Amino acid sequence: MGNIQLGVTIMLINMTIVFCVLFGLCIMIRVIHAVDPTNKKKEVAPAKAAAPAPAPVAAAPAAAPKADNSAVIAVIAAAVAAYEGDDVKIVAVRPVESTTWKNAGRAVGIANKV
Amino acid sequence: MGIFDAFGTALQALWHDSGFYSLTMGNVIMMLVGCILMYMAFAKEFEPLLLGPISFGCVIANFPVTHMLDEPGAMQLISYGIKYEVFPPLIFMGVGAMTDFGPLLANPNTILLGAAAQFGVFIALFGAMALGFTPHQASAIGIIGGADGPTAIYMSAKMAPELLGAIAVAAYSYMSLVPLIQPPIMMAFTTQKERSIRMGQLRQVTKFEKIVFPVVCTIVISLLLPPVAALIAMLMLGNLLRESGVTDRLSDTAQNALCNIVTIFLGTGTGMTMNADDFLKIQTIEIICLGLVAFAGGTWAGLMFAKLMNIVMGGTINPLIGSAGVSAVPMAARVSQVVGQKSCPGNFLLMQAMGPNVAGVIGTAVAAGAMLAILGAPTK
Repeated sequence: MGNIQLGVTIMLINMTIVFCVLFGLCIMIRVIHAVDPTNKKKEVAPAKAAAPAPAPVAAAPAAAPKADNSAVIAVIAAAVAAYEGDDVKIVAVRPVESTTWKNAGRAVGIANKV
Repeated sequence: MGIFDAFGTALQALWHDSGFYSLTMGNVIMMLVGCILMYMAFAKEFEPLLLGPISFGCVIANFPVTHMLDEPGAMQLISYGIKYEVFPPLIFMGVGAMTDFGPLLANPNTILLGAAAQFGVFIALFGAMALGFTPHQASAIGIIGGADGPTAIYMSAKMAPELLGAIAVAAYSYMSLVPLIQPPIMMAFTTQKERSIRMGQLRQVTKFEKIVFPVVCTIVISLLLPPVAALIAMLMLGNLLRESGVTDRLSDTAQNALCNIVTIFLGTGTGMTMNADDFLKIQTIEIICLGLVAFAGGTWAGLMFAKLMNIVMGGTINPLIGSAGVSAVPMAARVSQVVGQKSCPGNFLLMQAMGPNVAGVIGTAVAAGAMLAILGAPTK
């Protein structure tokens, strides 16, 4: 009986410590993100670039449609249709910025092949 | 006639000195166990990189009268690597060099799932104490639930060296069985609707965050829990080498050459602790059963906490990522991905599940450190 009581005590104390330490790490990660100077630079940079934008605004949209991505879009649409079924409508196609999703896609592709 | 007598005496001496003469039934059984484990490792591919050397070490350990561990030599050196906890931190350096903490840094809330999944550790600890193991033995057995081989070996070498073989075999066996153990629990405790929740794309993590995290994490955890400073420091050193971007050669060595070399020694050394006298006990069966309870308990607790998080965060968390909190990197995250995709084909949970998965590694080390700090190493 004493052994069981000791077991419960050790269990509760340790579980509390693990949660507290990892919660502390969670806060620490947020602090690192908040004080990240490179992150602020990134946020400032597009803002600065956007400021003098009014003049060339007409040129920018004109340049975009010139690139003929219709073949790529057709392939993506076919792949999505094959994967999701017929009741899916593609409303937009944009490049993925994050490498994590690219890597996820590759990992799944490799797993399916293997 | 004298020649025949001398010949007979020499043959008799040879026979008496041979291993066959001293072979016990226990040795034979353990060699058979080693051969079965070899079959599982090489033919069935259950964690072959570790179970292979472990199983061969098990066969080696049961050769009688070799005195391999008593006399200076390669075998004694390898066993010292286990006895003095040299190999687990080195393996952790390789693990750190292979780990991307990006998903964890992108969604820090998932670190709590890594904490919740440690519940399995404490369920096993409680179960072991109820079965009559000492607190030190129970804490070493509990770590099996962390699904983290090096930490389990580190902990048992410190707390219960007599159980090291059984604990290591249980830990690595269950780690290889994660794709079989977890899915039924995941299906039983989640609904189709929950499994179909699509999680948003993770934000991009900057290089600054990836470099600062291992440094700060090492400082904080090592100061808080000195007994596991070696594990955490080496894990984060490996990760720093990877993320710094200027130490590619060292990172490459840590995650390939060094990790492979140490894996061979760690596996062989662990196997060499499986001699018949220490292994063939009812305790071994109890440890293997407790290991299963620990794995199942950790998976369940991770799922339940993820369900709770899903409710609190407005239905944005797929509970399946909770089961990845039981370390076993990256196998547990892949199981989350596979089960999630079975429920909803277009659902990609791999990167989201990697957050709790790597958090589980830290969580297990913290759990080990907490138990070492509270109980202290046993007096020998």
